[in-house]
Amino acid sequence: MTEQTQSGQDHLRHAAEAEREIATLEKKIDKLEESLHAAQAANRAKSTFLSNMSHDIRTPMNAIVGMTAIGLSHIDEKARVQDCLLKIQTASSHLMSLVNDVLDMSRIDSGRLTLGREPFSLPDLVHDIAVILRPQAAQKRQSLQLEIGRIHEENLIGDSLRVRQILVNIIGNAVKYTQEEGCIRVRFDQHFPEGVKAQRTAADTVFLDFLCQDNGMGMSPEFLERIFLPFERVHNEATSKIEGTGLGMSIVKNLIDRMDGQIRVESRLGEGSLFRITLPLGITAKSDDLSCPQNQTVLIAESGESLSDQLEECLRDCGMVPVVEKSGLSCVTYLTEAKYEDRMPCAMLLGQSLADMPCLELASHVRQLAGSQFPILLVSEADWAQIEYRASRAGVNAFVPCPLFKSRLLKTLIPLINAEQEETGSQCGTDYGSFHVLLVEDNELNQEIAVELLSMIGVQVETADDGAQAVAAFQASCAHHFDVIFMDVQMPVMNGYEATRRIRSLQRPDAETVRIVAMTANAFVEDIRSSKDAGMDEHLSKPVDLEHLQEILHRLLKSAPSQE
Amino acid sequence: MQSYQEEYIANVKDIAALTAHKSPGGRSFEEYLEELLADRQEAEQKTNRNMELLREGLQPTLEHLFEAGAQELASLREFASSLLAGTNEVDGGLFCQIHQALLSLARLNRDKKQMIQELYWLGIGRNNLCNKMVGLETTEAEKYTHKMRLCFTEAAAYLKYYDEIEDTQTRGYILRSRANISLGHFRSPGEKIRLTRQTLEILQDSSYQEKEPGLPWERFIYMTHQQMASSISRSKTEVMAPEDIAALMDSVYIVYERMIREAAEQSQKPPLRSAFSYASINYYCGLDTLDGLLSKMEQLMDETDIHDFSPDNMYGLISIPAFYCQYLQEYPERLPRKKDYVESLYQKILDYLRIFPQAAGNESLFFYLRQLSCTFVETGDGISYGEFLQKLLILFAPDIYVHSYMVGKASCAFCRIILSEEPSYFDDIDHIRAVKDPQQKQAAVLDYAMQCGLFHDVGNLNFISLYTQISRQWFAEEYEISKLHTVAGNMSLSQRPSTRLYAEAAHGHHSWYDGSRGYPGSYRRLECPQRQMVDIIGITDFLDSITSMGQLHFGAKKTYAEAVREAILLEGRRFSPLLTARLRDKEIARILREAFEEGRREAYYHLYEQEASS
Repeated sequence: MTEQTQSGQDHLRHAAEAEREIATLEKKIDKLEESLHAAQAANRAKSTFLSNMSHDIRTPMNAIVGMTAIGLSHIDEKARVQDCLLKIQTASSHLMSLVNDVLDMSRIDSGRLTLGREPFSLPDLVHDIAVILRPQAAQKRQSLQLEIGRIHEENLIGDSLRVRQILVNIIGNAVKYTQEEGCIRVRFDQHFPEGVKAQRTAADTVFLDFLCQDNGMGMSPEFLERIFLPFERVHNEATSKIEGTGLGMSIVKNLIDRMDGQIRVESRLGEGSLFRITLPLGITAKSDDLSCPQNQTVLIAESGESLSDQLEECLRDCGMVPVVEKSGLSCVTYLTEAKYEDRMPCAMLLGQSLADMPCLELASHVRQLAGSQFPILLVSEADWAQIEYRASRAGVNAFVPCPLFKSRLLKTLIPLINAEQEETGSQCGTDYGSFHVLLVEDNELNQEIAVELLSMIGVQVETADDGAQAVAAFQASCAHHFDVIFMDVQMPVMNGYEATRRIRSLQRPDAETVRIVAMTANAFVEDIRSSKDAGMDEHLSKPVDLEHLQEILHRLLKSAPSQE
Repeated sequence: MQSYQEEYIANVKDIAALTAHKSPGGRSFEEYLEELLADRQEAEQKTNRNMELLREGLQPTLEHLFEAGAQELASLREFASSLLAGTNEVDGGLFCQIHQALLSLARLNRDKKQMIQELYWLGIGRNNLCNKMVGLETTEAEKYTHKMRLCFTEAAAYLKYYDEIEDTQTRGYILRSRANISLGHFRSPGEKIRLTRQTLEILQDSSYQEKEPGLPWERFIYMTHQQMASSISRSKTEVMAPEDIAALMDSVYIVYERMIREAAEQSQKPPLRSAFSYASINYYCGLDTLDGLLSKMEQLMDETDIHDFSPDNMYGLISIPAFYCQYLQEYPERLPRKKDYVESLYQKILDYLRIFPQAAGNESLFFYLRQLSCTFVETGDGISYGEFLQKLLILFAPDIYVHSYMVGKASCAFCRIILSEEPSYFDDIDHIRAVKDPQQKQAAVLDYAMQCGLFHDVGNLNFISLYTQISRQWFAEEYEISKLHTVAGNMSLSQRPSTRLYAEAAHGHHSWYDGSRGYPGSYRRLECPQRQMVDIIGITDFLDSITSMGQLHFGAKKTYAEAVREAILLEGRRFSPLLTARLRDKEIARILREAFEEGRREAYYHLYEQEASS
């Protein structure tokens, strides 16, 4: 090899090395450019994020600051201040959800989000969702139908808080983006993994199939492609006033992915959207089945076919005989005939609607007709906390929330039926044996009848013949011995008002808290007010109405803990 | 009857007479006023006496009902039957209380016959309540219809055991309960007709008749046809099925033919009621035009005589005009041609009412008047709805008129004080804000306050016996019903141009400032632009109500000073602090008191003038 040749080869080698270095440098430059773009994109995203957040945070903050100022300037006008506080409450809770969304997103991004795995009840979860979302839908006069399909397992294992977050987000969006008086249909089903029959013994996992369909504004195909990206929201005139960060769907998608679930969306602009979610969840050990009384008749009072069909199916499944009546009048006819022929049903399930009257008006008459032991259950979508007072006054014993789960219905119904059949007299299967009642009544026969009625309920009854004896008996008892005092008003020696005043003024811990019920024929408005003024809690008209007596006792005692 | 029962009934009748409108004869106003005030004082004494009678006589019986003997129970039933007989109501509320107690007793004793009987009578009592709710198609009002219908349905369910119940009277109660299920308002007229048709089938079934020949079957059937004929629903023909129309026609013809026959036997014309039903059904089934029907109605109305106080003439003079006006409301294009006729109708009715004897307790009269009020047509030139209502108050509820007038006067005085401190206080109210000149604005506010005062309790006309027959304290259920006067007043005032502005005063004057209590739930203070005026009416109404005879429904009357103290105690809860702060000023409290006094005297003078002119 000549020197010239050697030199040429060196030159070529150097040139190749230089080219490689150039290529490496170019790659580095590309990477740097990519990084620069990424940094710029990140910067833009940060700016968008900050811009969105500052707008979204400022909106409720403006309301809070503004309403606080208005409230302060009208501090003497309670109603105006109350109005301001309610608006502040709404804005604050929106602000709180905003912050929660951001924190969730941050946890997801940084990989700090861990999913819990603990037992939870599907009926409780569905009930919670209904309680959260029904008022929102009602505010827009929307029809929100919650349907329960084929459910194999009600007790599941998973992160119930996150499952709830997913479902609330999806249904909440449907409510938000559906016009007033629109329809939203939500359905829950379950299926076992492929190859496993509907025999729970063969599986430790079940898939929860959730569907949410609305006839709201829907989404364009372009938006559907970006639906799960952070900060993406449908923008048009109709949505400009809808609150939200645009983080919700992104969080939902991330959570579903982390749970190994699936989410699918179908939507048409102007026609509505359909979301389908499938989530694998664990199954807990099976609890003992309730043994249902076989071949017993249960009256269903409901005009809506969907609910009455569900109730019929639940009852038939466990060997009971459902009879459906759609109107209040036909229920009363059925029960009157049944009573006459001594074939009373073992309970009545009062639904949400009747063809001719509100359900609670029927309950009130049936309680009189059928007697105090007859179980009346209200099966309804209503919020029990809101209707409990009216319903228990009307004679309803217990409540089963809708959407209907068989286990809930049976767990409430069967103890009531058993209690009635055992004639223990205790309502809702509650044992009142440890409760003490002081009956103050001067008339011997009235006292005898009342003692009998109270004993039937299961409480322990002590008697006093006049107000002075009642005060003495109360003073002589240990603190919290008596749970309720039934006090006649017109009595010799000391009347009921005076006795109540004296009891209330005694220096002992239960003087103010012991429940005192006026039991009198004085039924004028003034009498009711006088008994309240004297310190009595309730008013029971004479002649003693068995059902009313029991209803009052049930209401007063159910919240009082037994002292023994 | 026991002596306390007889005395109670006599007292109720006396109280009605003492509080009714009176002719001044040749007396001066001072003499007339002195007598009126003395009458009211006597009425108060009788009311207090009635409470003693009930507390000492009735309540011990109810208290010891389980040990009451057959004689005591029989006298209780007899007492109840005197309290409500047909459409003559002495005390419908007490009637229901007694039968409710007797039903509880029958249920406890498992006495089926007695249970059926008490269910029937309780249903009758509740039907009497429902009749007071004409025009009030609200959930609250419907509650009483359902209660009534449930009672009748339970009693009627025993029809299945007709053979086993071998007692003529009980079988009669079962059959009448079956027929009465179709009493009252139904959402669908077809439902009412279907139920009545089923009853007719039962009554005409020979197997029932043969087993109980002692029952007045023909009368039962005829009464049920009458019930069917009264189901003619003017505006709802489009939802009636052909078979419903056919059933209606059948009953109307049967009733009409019998009426014609009976009238011919006595050489008289057939009753106006059945003649109207006959004309209506011909219109509904296409045998006549609306103009033809209106013309026949005019003929029938023209046949009425203002000196005839029989039920049928009363129907022709008040109820047929109510239907006539309803047609004109539904077909307003006919109104211009009929304006003069409508005016003459209203004038004739007012003339009739002015001389109507012993109106108190005549539930048919008030039922027809409620119908007339619901369908009142304002023609623009003639009597306005507001004037008509004022005249009804003066004639049938003079004490409510006096109270309303006093509230108006005191509200004016209150407004004058507020305007002197805050001229723009009422500017949330559109028609007040529109007035720029301060003097004109004050005049507008004062006029508005007076009118709101005059109309705020007009809903009481629906429950007139409840308010005017102050013969005892109210039961809890009656108090609940009385609350509906706010809804009734709002509904009636808001539907006519001349009274629309005052509807919210009727609606919200029992609401609480902080919304924590009060009624009705449908009034939302913060959403009401007239709330500043409604607040004033609320407080002046309170100050007068608890110091006047109406307070006897709740217990003892208060003095004016006590009323002011109570109002101040309710500051920020029931009443606006802006108003109670002013009430703390003794001078303002004095001015208001004087306004009440002045108002009372002026109102009585109006009564005097009205009576003297008639």
